[in-house]
Amino acid sequence: MMENRKHDSSPIVKIENLHLHYYTRRGIYKALNGVNLEIRRGEVLGVAGESGCGKSTLGRAIMGIIPRNAAIVEGKILVDGVDYLKPLREYFKKAKKFKPTKNQDLLKKVNEEMSKIRGQKISMVFQEPMTTLNPLLTVGYQISEVLFYHNPGLLASRRLARARATKEDTKNIVKILKEEGEGERLRQYLKNRNIMGLEDQIISIWRRKELHDLKKEQMILELCCEPISSMARGYLEQIEKTNSLPKFSKLPIVGRIVKRELLKEAFKKSAEFLGLLGIPDPDKVVYMYPHELSGGQRQRIVITTAMINNPNLVILDEPTSALDVTIQAQILELVKELKEKINSTYMFISHDLSVLSEVSDRIAIMYAGQVVEVGPKSAIFNSPKHPYTQMLMEAIPTIEAHELKGIKGEVPDMRNPPKGCMFYPRCPYAMPICKEKRPPLFKVGEDHYVACYLYGGEKK
Amino acid sequence: MLLFIPTLIGLTVIVFTLLHIGGTTKLLAMYLSPRLTGAARAHVIAELDAKFHLNQPVYVQYFYWLIQILEGNWGITNTPLYSGPVTQAIAIFFPNTLILTIFAAIIIWLVSIPLGVHTAVNRDKPSDNAIRVASLTFYAMPWYLIGVVLIIIFAVYFRILPIAGTVNPSLVVGLSWYHNGISYPTHILLIDALLHGDFKVAWNAFLHLIMPSVTLSLGVMAALIRLMRGTMLETMDQDFVNFARAKGVPEKVVINLHAKNNALLPVVTNFGYLVAGLLGGVVVIEDVFSYPGIGMWLTSAMLNNDMGGIMGGTLLFGLILVTTSLFLDILYAKIDPRIRY
Ligand SMILES: Nc1ncnc2c1ncn2[C@@H]1O[C@H](COP(=O)(O)OP(=O)(O)O)[C@@H](O)[C@H]1O
Ligand code: SF4
Ligand SMILES: [Mg+2]
Repeated sequence: MMENRKHDSSPIVKIENLHLHYYTRRGIYKALNGVNLEIRRGEVLGVAGESGCGKSTLGRAIMGIIPRNAAIVEGKILVDGVDYLKPLREYFKKAKKFKPTKNQDLLKKVNEEMSKIRGQKISMVFQEPMTTLNPLLTVGYQISEVLFYHNPGLLASRRLARARATKEDTKNIVKILKEEGEGERLRQYLKNRNIMGLEDQIISIWRRKELHDLKKEQMILELCCEPISSMARGYLEQIEKTNSLPKFSKLPIVGRIVKRELLKEAFKKSAEFLGLLGIPDPDKVVYMYPHELSGGQRQRIVITTAMINNPNLVILDEPTSALDVTIQAQILELVKELKEKINSTYMFISHDLSVLSEVSDRIAIMYAGQVVEVGPKSAIFNSPKHPYTQMLMEAIPTIEAHELKGIKGEVPDMRNPPKGCMFYPRCPYAMPICKEKRPPLFKVGEDHYVACYLYGGEKK
Repeated sequence: MLLFIPTLIGLTVIVFTLLHIGGTTKLLAMYLSPRLTGAARAHVIAELDAKFHLNQPVYVQYFYWLIQILEGNWGITNTPLYSGPVTQAIAIFFPNTLILTIFAAIIIWLVSIPLGVHTAVNRDKPSDNAIRVASLTFYAMPWYLIGVVLIIIFAVYFRILPIAGTVNPSLVVGLSWYHNGISYPTHILLIDALLHGDFKVAWNAFLHLIMPSVTLSLGVMAALIRLMRGTMLETMDQDFVNFARAKGVPEKVVINLHAKNNALLPVVTNFGYLVAGLLGGVVVIEDVFSYPGIGMWLTSAMLNNDMGGIMGGTLLFGLILVTTSLFLDILYAKIDPRIRY
């Protein structure tokens, strides 16, 4: 696995010298001041830093979910090589005076472009599970939306497979499963019988740990012979082929029928996925409203929603910070489990270094809207180089660490950040040059970079 | 839901207290036909005395009076517009007001919710500013002014809408279901005409409804647009709206399903105040358009110092407000899964 990751060349996200400023009535908050960072395929990149250092802003900027008053002043974010925020940057360059209304117009276009990959290629989990879900919609619907808008073909083929499969088929499937498990022979059989849509349904039953084998067999035997109206069948077949919502789904009655059929299937799939994650009573949970669930359960729902389409990149913005310690540990377990199951890339944001030490491959340390140190987890923990990182490490309480506290001095006022090194006012090793010029990233070890004049540049 | 009864009790106590400020004379005036004289009058007074236990303490009288109210004995009204039992007057005038308010409420809802959403989505853009200025202008204008302006434009200058009343009198001459300005069976001309298949009259009645209901709605629309805009802006900043975006849900669905429905909740709660505002407007507007509804009857009752009319109207308006808020509570519970009775 590790080998694979190293050989995969182009990073999934490349952030180059990103400057993002928030325009407010109280002044211009310079939230990101030249962020350089890449997220590599298959890795878990941990991002740490004090609250207010721009972690969420960075995560949201990658998703393109930024408010109208956020100006892309300079730099770019390449997601799979595409510079989605380009119109915003060009607007800022051109504009004499930044106007949120104009920015909003362009943001609308960015939204439109990015909505095709959001939830599908990249997705995000927010910090506050209590406010991330829409209180008026069932959680099943909220998970289903992602499937409905990005993966209608899968839903159609699942439904059609249950209509096409015969009793004979499901019996054969059980036989294959018992003999060889969920391997190539099963796939081959499903393919030959044109019932590939059954695959994830079968697997999701077969993998469940809490069910007895007989129960599983019985459930699989039931995945057949489900009648379907010929009209719905026709439409679903078309959707299965194109994996997109065709024009007729905009027609009033037909659209409703199709949407209902697809959503019903999406609810099924959602429940299966929740079951796989070990959430009890998934068939009931999907019909519940967010207020009927605890914070931990809600965060599981949010994570499920973000993961159900197997995205290439998942941005987790402090997914555990708002939760109790025990729940935190469970969610962390869940994330680790998903990491094993789904071959994806993760950006894990946290202000808690001990959390990051559990899940990350690499860690980036942010300070005042900049990445000041980035490197492999072991390097960051064993030989932290940046004075700020060193102070962070010292500040981790030995038992049950939670927050980055107890660092002397204050975060600079982001309306008026220091001209030179951002850390200058708090740094015990500060030199004259630090006050004058921002330090670039210097290489200090294998894949280990630090933005500090102690490690390079013209020391004076 | 539970507030329903205490509110009604409070309301009746207030009405009753008002009746009693000048002793029992007002109460008597409300139940005593002024046409009676001499012995007959004395007889009825004695009867009322017994019925309301006027020799007993005030709070006892209140209960006897409440019983009469509950039994539908709301007293007598005596104005040039109508003379007879209050309940009868309500039965005649209220349907006209009801249809007027319903029309206005529908216009308000259909216009202000989409405009509120539009202005929020296009915040600070020219269309937002224009709508804000226009709606505030109407908000600042008194109702009768809006009414008169509309009359001058559409009835006097363009002559496309009728000035006043509910129907062109020449159309209803000799109709079997229309007497003395009252249509049967519902007393709502538009509906009665439709029931009798008289589409010409129905169309004419509809034309007569347009200006009053538009005037009524213009006066309060601004408040609702503003409210909707505000709650919408607030909702659009919420995490779950951004999460919907992060899921790749099309922007249209994000706005209309995720943001709008949540933004509607406070609007529904506040719609009650709006209805209260409408009832206030009805009095003015029916006067401006000579529209024979509760407002016109109330105006005439006030001008004639007719206790029956004033008290009946107060009670009726109170009842309407209480039922509206009850209805809105139920509606709210239906939209918001967090609330279950
Ligand atoms: N919508 C916004 N408008 C103005 N300033 C904002 C906005 N969002 C964040 N900020 C500011 O940007 C800075 C970075 O915030 P954030 O990215 O949320 O930090 P973190 O997630 O690391 O705590 C903070 O100073 C915050 O006050
Ligand atoms: S660049 Fe200078 S001020 Fe900044 S961290 Fe390094 S030594 Fe300290
Ligand atoms: Mg944050």
